[in-house]
Amino acid sequence: MHPLFSHWRRFLLYLAGWVEFGILLAVIAPASGRVTRLEAASVIVPTMLVLGFVCLVPWYLCRSIPLRAVAWKSLVQHHLPGTVVATALVMFVGRLIAASLTSIWPGLDNLFSKATPPLTIFVALTYMLSTALHYAFLEIESSRRAESLAREAQLKALKAQINPHFLFNSLNSISALTSIDAARAREMCIGLADFLRASLRLGERDTVPFSEELALTNMYLSVEQARFGDRLRLVRDIDPACNPCEVPALLIQPLVENAVKHGIAMMAEGGEISISGHRDHDWLRFSVSNPFDPDAPVQARNGIGLRNVRARLEARYGSAAKMQIDATERNYQVTLTFPAKTS
Amino acid sequence: MKTLRAIIADDEDLARRILREYLTGESDIEIVEECPNGFEAVKAVNELKPDVLFLDVQMPKLDGFEVLELIESSVAVVFVTAFDQYAMKAFDAAAVDYLLKPFTAERFRASLDRVRARFNSAAPPVPLPRDLKLASRAPGEYLERLVVKDGPRVHVIAVAKLDYAEAQDDYVALRSEGKTWLKQQTISSLESALDPRRFLRVHRSFLINMERIARVEPNTKDTWLAILRDGTKIPMSRAGYSRFRELAGGE
Repeated sequence: MHPLFSHWRRFLLYLAGWVEFGILLAVIAPASGRVTRLEAASVIVPTMLVLGFVCLVPWYLCRSIPLRAVAWKSLVQHHLPGTVVATALVMFVGRLIAASLTSIWPGLDNLFSKATPPLTIFVALTYMLSTALHYAFLEIESSRRAESLAREAQLKALKAQINPHFLFNSLNSISALTSIDAARAREMCIGLADFLRASLRLGERDTVPFSEELALTNMYLSVEQARFGDRLRLVRDIDPACNPCEVPALLIQPLVENAVKHGIAMMAEGGEISISGHRDHDWLRFSVSNPFDPDAPVQARNGIGLRNVRARLEARYGSAAKMQIDATERNYQVTLTFPAKTS
Repeated sequence: MKTLRAIIADDEDLARRILREYLTGESDIEIVEECPNGFEAVKAVNELKPDVLFLDVQMPKLDGFEVLELIESSVAVVFVTAFDQYAMKAFDAAAVDYLLKPFTAERFRASLDRVRARFNSAAPPVPLPRDLKLASRAPGEYLERLVVKDGPRVHVIAVAKLDYAEAQDDYVALRSEGKTWLKQQTISSLESALDPRRFLRVHRSFLINMERIARVEPNTKDTWLAILRDGTKIPMSRAGYSRFRELAGGE
């Protein structure tokens, strides 16, 4: 339903606008003909009301033919017939009104016929204007939605960041290390502090350079390595050309965290996480791959992680970005491909 | 005083080490085994029959609650976990204590005192922790897998691969992938742990996976037969049949 229909006050106001417009036209029109203002108004005002209704139709058309998704030509192909039909409809109703009023004011239908060419052009242009305005309106709506989605995703990411399991287990490791190896305990404590600080800082920003996001994942991994020891092994293959690219903050960190949480932490013998980042001209491709135990206990998967990453990619890059998941029997790989933009 | 034999089950080396460290000063407690995953914990507990089990919840292979399900002897369980929102209920039910990581030496000693009290006084015997897992489930959350003991080994059955379960005295026979596994559990407690939209109690003794039913035929006046995809015939009582109609019709 058109958003105007959901608020009847606004809808009445909208119709009142058209009535006013019709009156205005009726005041101007008689200057060029023999018609009186009352006669002109009696035809034009109801016709304008019909036009007002017809001008709401583009909302449905515009939504089914999104501006960005189709070519210029097909846009014309779709909206031109719409304009023709809408104009014909409005003019037909106008003619009916004029014809029915001819009994009161003889000759009105003849006058209407004379006024038909300019009126037709006027109606067609108004309809096209309405189409354009609807596109503008939908565009504003969608960018506002993308923005709120990004904000929400960021909050969720932030919450997921400070995963209580990770935090308390890390603190427990530090507690254990204090009597075994005080220097390592201190190191891990500082590593954890660095990570928490960096994720809070990055979480406040919209985009960050890839290098900073990568540094954050490295801080995270150094804490997890202290926790898991030999069970967590890492292979990194990062193209330095990726570093200056701007990426949504906290986008890739959750992928690495998932790899540890659902992969390594659930494998008795541990495994290898490989992280790779490549830049191919205008594209950045980042992937995280980890082994997993298909027979691991089922964890309460919040599912926030990956869904969140996908939603944020979409909000930022639209259909240009892609998140691909390749899962085999024992290995899980997530690959993000998105436009490489430097600030 | 009796020496208490203890097992530590935690997948993180440092987490095991802090327990070991805290236990070194306790002359009446002896660590008999340390286990880095759920499988080994089940095996060690059933073989060594310790008095105390320090148990982590999130572990590879089997989680802490699954371990409890498979333990055959009575043991005082102390959960040692970082964070587990549903575990509290289970702790209240049967665990001697729970420790939230990280914990102080004092807190740990208090926990040991509770363990000792169980063994020294005329307190009721430590319960068998088998049905703890059921208590630990959140409402609306159902089991995704079943764990059964297969001699010294542990077998895991994904719920989707379970064809049907049949009550046999104190056990349920679980039929999955052409094999039958026995588990010490009542069919009613199994029924309550499985998703009622996927598993249907068609008879006092039978619980069927809805997806396996090929067709239903009338049998005697008041009974029906569910024919499974592999041809197995399962009796359906009158109540079971009406439950089946209700579930199948609601889809």
